[in-house]
Amino acid sequence: MTAQPTDRLQGTLELLILRTLQGAPQHGWGIAQQIQLLSRDVLQVNQGSLYPALHRLEERGWIKAEWGTSDNNRRARFYRLSAAGRRQLEHETESWQAFVLAVSRVLRSA
Amino acid sequence: MISIGRAVRRARSFLTLRHRDRELDEELRLHVEMEADALARSGLDERAAREQAARRFGGIARHRDAARDARGIRAAEDFVSDVRVGLRALARQRAFTTVAVLTLGIGVGGTTAVFGTVYGILLAPLPYGDAGRIVTLWERDARARSERLEVSPGNFLDWRERARSFDGIAAAEPWSVDYIGREGPERFDAALVTAGYFDILRVQPLLGRTFRPEEHAQGQSQVVVLSERLWRSRFGADSSLVGRTLVLDSIPMTVIGVLPQAVEIPYAPDSWLPKVVRPDEREDRRSAYWTVIARLTPSATLDGGQAEMIALGQALAREYPSTNEHIGVTVVPLREALTGGASKGLWILFGAVGLVLVIACANVASLQLTQAVRRRREIAIRTAIGAGRGRIVRQLFAENVLLAAFGGVLGIAVAYWGIAGIRTIAPVDLPRVEELGVNGAVIGFALAATIATALAFGFAPVIEAGRVRLTESLGASGRTAGGARWTRRVNGVLVTAQLALALVLLVGAGLLVRSFQALLSVDRGFETHGVLATTMQTWSYYPVAAARIEYARASTARLRELPGVDASAMASSLPLTVPIGQERTAVTVPGEASTRPGEALPAHVTAVSAGFFTVLQIPLREGRVLDERDREGSAPVVVVNESFARRQWPAGSAIGRRIRFAYMGPPVDREIVGVVGDVRHDGLAADPRPSVFVPHAHGPTGAMHLLVRTSGDPRTLEPAVRRALLELNGAMPVSETATLDEQLASSLRERRFHLALLTAFACVAVLLSIVGVYGLISNATAARTHEIGVRVAIGASAATVVRLVLRQGAMLAVAGISVGVTVSLATVGLLRGMLFNVAPLDLPTFAVAVLTLLGASLVACWVPARRAAATDPARVLRQD
Repeated sequence: MTAQPTDRLQGTLELLILRTLQGAPQHGWGIAQQIQLLSRDVLQVNQGSLYPALHRLEERGWIKAEWGTSDNNRRARFYRLSAAGRRQLEHETESWQAFVLAVSRVLRSA
Repeated sequence: MISIGRAVRRARSFLTLRHRDRELDEELRLHVEMEADALARSGLDERAAREQAARRFGGIARHRDAARDARGIRAAEDFVSDVRVGLRALARQRAFTTVAVLTLGIGVGGTTAVFGTVYGILLAPLPYGDAGRIVTLWERDARARSERLEVSPGNFLDWRERARSFDGIAAAEPWSVDYIGREGPERFDAALVTAGYFDILRVQPLLGRTFRPEEHAQGQSQVVVLSERLWRSRFGADSSLVGRTLVLDSIPMTVIGVLPQAVEIPYAPDSWLPKVVRPDEREDRRSAYWTVIARLTPSATLDGGQAEMIALGQALAREYPSTNEHIGVTVVPLREALTGGASKGLWILFGAVGLVLVIACANVASLQLTQAVRRRREIAIRTAIGAGRGRIVRQLFAENVLLAAFGGVLGIAVAYWGIAGIRTIAPVDLPRVEELGVNGAVIGFALAATIATALAFGFAPVIEAGRVRLTESLGASGRTAGGARWTRRVNGVLVTAQLALALVLLVGAGLLVRSFQALLSVDRGFETHGVLATTMQTWSYYPVAAARIEYARASTARLRELPGVDASAMASSLPLTVPIGQERTAVTVPGEASTRPGEALPAHVTAVSAGFFTVLQIPLREGRVLDERDREGSAPVVVVNESFARRQWPAGSAIGRRIRFAYMGPPVDREIVGVVGDVRHDGLAADPRPSVFVPHAHGPTGAMHLLVRTSGDPRTLEPAVRRALLELNGAMPVSETATLDEQLASSLRERRFHLALLTAFACVAVLLSIVGVYGLISNATAARTHEIGVRVAIGASAATVVRLVLRQGAMLAVAGISVGVTVSLATVGLLRGMLFNVAPLDLPTFAVAVLTLLGASLVACWVPARRAAATDPARVLRQD
């Protein structure tokens, strides 16, 4: 499988989303916040990519969405990981680590 | 590959589109709110936080589209959403939508109705197997300039024996049979057909069978085939009728089959009987009244068949010079023979209603254009919140498609009623009228017309939308929105085109009206008012000539005695009425130097009783009319009409001269005793033919019209006439009665039909184009409110303002009318055959059409002009 850069980037966002959802269910804004927080403000999720990514993941059956109530008592759409999503997360994490390893080997050897 | 699970999810998300859309909106809104909350917590005031959150988020619409894309159902979803938004937009602009849908409905509906007629009569497949190879064969007479004359038995038999281009040739002889049922005697129209007639048509009987070859022989021919119509109306669609015996013309005949409705060649008879060719018919080349059909062999062509028949006609002319010297043959494809007369008028009507559709399209396009300018801000706002240009164009197009769809649905309804209306007012001799209706082809046409319409009027607003410049439209107020001039120019062109086409239709309708008036005021040569006619076929009841002469005398005498009857008469042929027997003959003038021996002049012949010229009030020009003196055995005499006398003896008098012709017997020399005025026998538009009248005693035909004249309403005499005739002979049917006024009206029906439709189209066209003018001028005036306000402020009077607006309208009208006159001049020649005593370039017609349209345009400008004149300068100037 040859990974195009855009695919990889998109895949990365999806991986991050799946990872974020490994814990409790979360709404869109919360996911964006968490990614920003965990990356120490390095990764700022563009909302324009966030929602399409969420819908893509939902359509693939990796995450499930349901309406719930947010902390400040507003109706919000919460996403949680499905069993398939959990497997996908493991798989993606492995492949990401392999990718990072490969890239850093190349960079080190140069 | 898409997994099943994913397909199911995709389908579900499509099915729950509306719901998902709302959810997505809510989700996105929540995101912005949360962002704003977070920003507020970090110290920003609420309003600033909101603004910043919104800015960070960007256009909601864009994110929504992107999120939808991710679901992979964008196209379908967009379509549904376009339709939904379109419906909302149309509902918001209620007045516009109503006018547009009505306009389209009338345009599409009218066109579809006329198409349905054209299709049913001219285009629909004929109900015969491989009908394209069926032709009709006719005699042509070089002298009478007649291309399609019925065929004589002798010539038919020779054609049948010698022609090689055809798989079969067969003839039908007009006939009728009398049937005595429970309600007394009645007459069924019939056709006597020669062997193989139905094989040529390749028509399958509904029940039973058609004739076998051996049934065309003497003694074998007591069989009859009934029409579906007669079988249903007279015998209650009783399928056990086949095999039973009916007594027709006092002869028991076995019903062997029922033929489907659609068989109407040469006309639509009630029944068919096998023709048994008599020995004397073998040599009869004079009495031509058979209709001949033939089927081309698979290898023959129409041209080849025509060439062979022309050669055959020439051969017969050499062999039988006394009868056939001027007789040729015409081969006409069946479809053309069935529809020839009707087709031109129908195509013209179709063209005319097509113009109405074009006007309707132009009208809706210009309405939409106006509307599009009004919607500029809406479109600009939608662009600003992230809708792509493609999206907006698609949106507008969806609105057009919706409009067209509503118009189309209304159109089909209009077409349904339209075709019903056309069937009611259609001329009786229009072929296949009974088959007209809304069928698949008609619906298909309506759909095609609707789609074409949507494309035709949809282009304008779409182009208009493409021209919207964001900053311009948002920044400017509605009044000065850029590009309005372009819109008005296009609009001007559209309205000009509408006016031009409306003028073309007005001129066409005007010419038909003038023709109709001319026709009604033409000297018809006789008086239709107050005359009732009944038709009797006495042949089989009075086989001896003397008995027929006696019957004619006795019946007219009896009718004369009825209360209310002023005069009565008998005639073998009546003006404006279908022939019931022989009415053509060839006249020679013995011993006349000017005519070559054997040179015969075709003439119309009528056998009449004394009193005929009184009943029809045909004026006597010279000599005497026929009267009681002209009885059996008296010297043969004849009365001729002026056309005959003038053609034969342009200088001298015709009285006392002798002419020779055959009628109900061998050729006889007869002395001319009188000359009467010309009668328009073949319709008001047809020039009178040379005619001769013989006393019934000297030409004892069995086909009789019995006439009575009254000073009251002739219809009220019908029961008494019927009773009197049944008293005279209780077995003989008295079926057809008609007043001559009715016959006259029926002879005018085709013209009336064209006139009614074309006038209706012209009225709709004028109305639509006037709406167009009104809309354009209203808008132009509204756009000039500021200018007009200034003018009024610096002292312009109301009259000046009105003049200003009217001048604009007049310029528009003059432009449209000029184009229309040019187009009319070029196309009006198409109407030539439909006009009577009116030149296509009739000045009064053009003048009235131009003035009507000009006047109507100015009336349409009057309202906006008054509105402009009432402009309050203070209010207008304050607005800026």
